[in-house]
Amino acid sequence: MEANKLTGTPVDRIDGLLKVTGKATYATDYPVKNMAYAYLFKSTIAAGTITKIDSTEALKVPGVLSVITHLNAPKLNEKGGLRGGALLQGPDIEFYGQHIGIVVAETFEQARHASRLVKVEYHKSEAKVDFEKLKKDAVPSKNEDLKRGDVDAVFNQADFAIDELYATPIEHHHPMEPHATIAVWEGEKVTLYNGSQIINGAQSSAANTLNIKSENVRIVSPHIGGGFGSKGGQWANLVLAAVAAKMISRPVHLALSRQQMFNSVGLRQHNDQRIRLAADKDGKLLALAHQTTTHCAINDEFVEPCGDCSKVMYEVPNSLISYRVIPMNIIIPTYTRGPGKSTGSFALESAIDELAFKLKMDPIDFRLKNEPAKDPSNGKPWSSRKLVECLKEGAKAFGWDKRSAQPGVTQLGDYLIGYGVACGTYPARQRDSSAIIKLIRTGNKVKAIVEQAAADLGTGTYTILTQTAADGLGLPISQVQVTIGDSDLPPAAGSVGSVGAASYANAVNEACEKITNELLAKSGKQFFVRPTAAQLMLSEGIDAFQTRMDAKSPEGADAYSAHSFNANFAEVWVNRSTGMTTVKRFLAVTAAGKILNPKTARSQIIGGNIWGIGMALTEESIIDPRWGNFITRSLADYHVPANLDIGDMETIFIRENDIIPNKMGIKGIGEVGIVGVAAAVANAIFNATGKRIRHLPITPDKLI
Amino acid sequence: MRPFKYTHVNTVQSATQLVSTHSNAKFLAGGTNILDLMKEDVERPDELLDITFLKVADIKMITEGPNKGGVSLGALSNNTETANHELIRLNHPLLTQAILAGASAQIRNMATNGGNLMQRTRCPYFYDVDMPCNKRVPGSGCGAMEGINRMHAIFGWSSKCIAVYPSDMAVALAVLDATVQVANSKGQQRRIAFTDFHRLPGENPEKDNNLLPGELITAIELPPNKFASHSYYLKVRDRASYAFALVSVAAGLELNGNNIVQAKIALGGVAHKPWRALRAEELLKGKEATEANFQAAAEAEMNQAKPLEYNRFKVELGKRAIVRALDMAMNNGSK
Ligand SMILES: Cc1cc2nc3c(=O)[nH]c(=O)nc-3n(C[C@H](O)[C@H](O)[C@H](O)COP(=O)(O)OP(=O)(O)OC[C@H]3O[C@@H](n4cnc5c(N)ncnc54)[C@H](O)[C@@H]3O)c2cc1C
Ligand code: SF4
Repeated sequence: MEANKLTGTPVDRIDGLLKVTGKATYATDYPVKNMAYAYLFKSTIAAGTITKIDSTEALKVPGVLSVITHLNAPKLNEKGGLRGGALLQGPDIEFYGQHIGIVVAETFEQARHASRLVKVEYHKSEAKVDFEKLKKDAVPSKNEDLKRGDVDAVFNQADFAIDELYATPIEHHHPMEPHATIAVWEGEKVTLYNGSQIINGAQSSAANTLNIKSENVRIVSPHIGGGFGSKGGQWANLVLAAVAAKMISRPVHLALSRQQMFNSVGLRQHNDQRIRLAADKDGKLLALAHQTTTHCAINDEFVEPCGDCSKVMYEVPNSLISYRVIPMNIIIPTYTRGPGKSTGSFALESAIDELAFKLKMDPIDFRLKNEPAKDPSNGKPWSSRKLVECLKEGAKAFGWDKRSAQPGVTQLGDYLIGYGVACGTYPARQRDSSAIIKLIRTGNKVKAIVEQAAADLGTGTYTILTQTAADGLGLPISQVQVTIGDSDLPPAAGSVGSVGAASYANAVNEACEKITNELLAKSGKQFFVRPTAAQLMLSEGIDAFQTRMDAKSPEGADAYSAHSFNANFAEVWVNRSTGMTTVKRFLAVTAAGKILNPKTARSQIIGGNIWGIGMALTEESIIDPRWGNFITRSLADYHVPANLDIGDMETIFIRENDIIPNKMGIKGIGEVGIVGVAAAVANAIFNATGKRIRHLPITPDKLI
Repeated sequence: MRPFKYTHVNTVQSATQLVSTHSNAKFLAGGTNILDLMKEDVERPDELLDITFLKVADIKMITEGPNKGGVSLGALSNNTETANHELIRLNHPLLTQAILAGASAQIRNMATNGGNLMQRTRCPYFYDVDMPCNKRVPGSGCGAMEGINRMHAIFGWSSKCIAVYPSDMAVALAVLDATVQVANSKGQQRRIAFTDFHRLPGENPEKDNNLLPGELITAIELPPNKFASHSYYLKVRDRASYAFALVSVAAGLELNGNNIVQAKIALGGVAHKPWRALRAEELLKGKEATEANFQAAAEAEMNQAKPLEYNRFKVELGKRAIVRALDMAMNNGSK
């Protein structure tokens, strides 16, 4: 392969123009002929059974084509791999807002209107929706407890210890593009236009649920309007669109409203995290217990691994990580940006700050003192770990030396000013992915088409794959066309869990190497300097050539512990009278292996940071325990940060050359950007005000 | 949304006549509130009368009558042009601040002054047709009373409804002693003092204000005031923009040196209407403008509050907000 020219440089987003001109096609942007519109209707109880559904009035609405409920829906495979159930398979209600039917009509407005005329009667049973009341009954979860040494014994005798509860509320993903599907049947085959973070996963779960063969399902998802985990596993909308389309023998468009997003596509669960930390007087950690109590669906478990950061961040001889869970009548939680790590790091990194304060140590020094030489959870060596560099570089760049160790003393007018730091980590992995490269020569120009069932959530997949292929083939960006987001293309990993870039780019890179080797062999010549694939196409006068690569993660990678690390620095201003907090400056220093494109990477990191700030200060979904419904039902109630909430955002990447996790040395940046952020803000608030808030979000009422 | 008829009207007369003969017709101005409510099935008009072409959209100096020297705001001029109008920025900067503290730039570009006064509460139980709500369906019960009432009233609520009125603009108008000018189908004009325009919920929470059926707001009049250089709008909210107030305060101080001739204070986010803090105003009259006096006045006002389960914080927050708003008003907005 030729020396990198384009990877590592801030190439503009390839799909940028399409997006700002409105030409990028999202799930419902396909002008399908003869399309009908479906609208879901939902249960208004959290537990019980439907005793009667009367669709008479709905069917009278002009334009209405069909009302589909469990009474007439076809039998589906409920264990087919979709998340959250709600497939209209029976009268049982497991959570408030479970889909109970679909109205299909000529227009969206007709369908929505008619859906409100369907009369539903229930037999209500007692719903489990009040976490505070139920938490004492939590049971062990499938996540195994992890024990090392004897936390209790050490904790009780330690010189310095803290034992605190940190709570994080239910949060929602709320991508800009609500979940939506267009289903088009042609004979036995169905095409589903549907935003999918895992193209092949969407294909197999749709096929399994519909009881048809995978090759009869095509997923089309070239652009995704965000997902943050909620479009990883797929939800009922994917298959219900197909069911409706089959039943009325027409293409069907099914889109969720923002209000419906609260109980249709998962959520980040509420977590109560108890942390016990003990250290000796020199600041050496002695014990760490991280015990999470949370909730899952009434009949299905999903638990965020909140203890993950605590497993690897610090050297500590005695450790306990445990999970307890309460099945509740709330939709099943799911992966949400930085699953487990973003929430877990809030607890751990707040606690570290609290203990450092007790020890009268600088929180950075405290962390440096407890830096582990190898992964404490499994004894494996690090493939690389640059947390120390993140902290030191960050401290310098941020002006950490200007921070007063004593809280509540830095003031400007009516504002209390504070600095906070907190760290994070996320594992680095490569997953099996394939790619096809097609080279086409026209005269003295060579063009490449790269094909892969990869996903671009708006993260930059198109751009980094274009850069990778251009470098690997010896072509300019303009001669590379990347085609992704379609299950007809070679299978690939999902854009989830920070595996996308490593899995996709390594496969494309290896495909470039392979095609170059094949062209060399075809030429039958020896070259002094290895030519590029593009040069070979020209010198050998080949018109068209293609190859396919099925890439695997490198052997031996498992012998190491491979992670990204970061250090986050926040400067907050808290208004002394009103309790309103502004994050004036935020700096994330990240060591995440090779950065393929500093521009899209920065966007990824600050996107994560901003969500982390939202997690710290504003975001919360609230349930009324009398009904089990969310009372935060729109983006006017569920507060994601607005522009004015965000101050200066700075990003620094620490250089890292680590080819253990994969050949290109990519660690992934999608998740790590949010990890540690909420704690950095909460720690800064403590430094500003002397108030330690352990229950997110930190709204003004908590600070007055 | 339910099927509805869309009608376009050209004169105030035809608008009021149509609305008074069709009992289920509603005016459509900027549409930023009524269309959302129709999509949620909360508002169910069968006819919308588009009034955006009515010629009641200018902002001008009042040259005669009781408010002479003041400014008249057309009901259909939008929030953005109102906030940024020279006459408003110069003579009523409090109103500029209040309008700009509300919603987002895009919404303010659409939202009209009349629509702003008529916007409905943001109580989440009101917005969700599957919940009980006396305001939406009289007699169905109040979902918020025993529910999540963090955003709800601490003053003037009734056993029927604890909702707050969400407008920021209106809080400033309450301090500016505005009058609302309305027209009816008989071609008559009526003036309503702003503080009498909105009402407390009492037994009839379905009524937000005292506008009679068929009446159309044509203008809002602002009399001249003596506190333009000592006024401030403070909005405390859960995020820096695009959030409704937890508590807001509009404050104007008419000063003679350091002495308060008259203080005008209204609170938002605490009641079913902009809440004039008359007790605080009374206490400040003739007093020196000191932190201690501000504090005493704020305490006296807020100690009368009747908070609910989840909004106790509003009492303390209200005190602090009043003091800070008065402070800021003294210092002409910078501190
Ligand atoms: C997400 C969001 C956030 C918001 N945040 C804020 C905020 O922070 N602060 C704030 O103050 N506001 C806020 N708003 C509300 C916004 O200010 C109102 O929606 C707007 O002022 C309504 O004006 P409109 O012209 O669009 O009214 P429309 O929606 O057209 O009408 C609203 C009602 O007024 C009636 N009406 C309109 N004009 C007249 C008239 N001349 N005479 C009689 N009746 C009339 C209509 O019949 C209708 O019932 C927010 C709105 C949204 C959607
Ligand atoms: S507070 Fe008023 S608006 Fe809210 S639920 Fe109760 S009656 Fe309805």
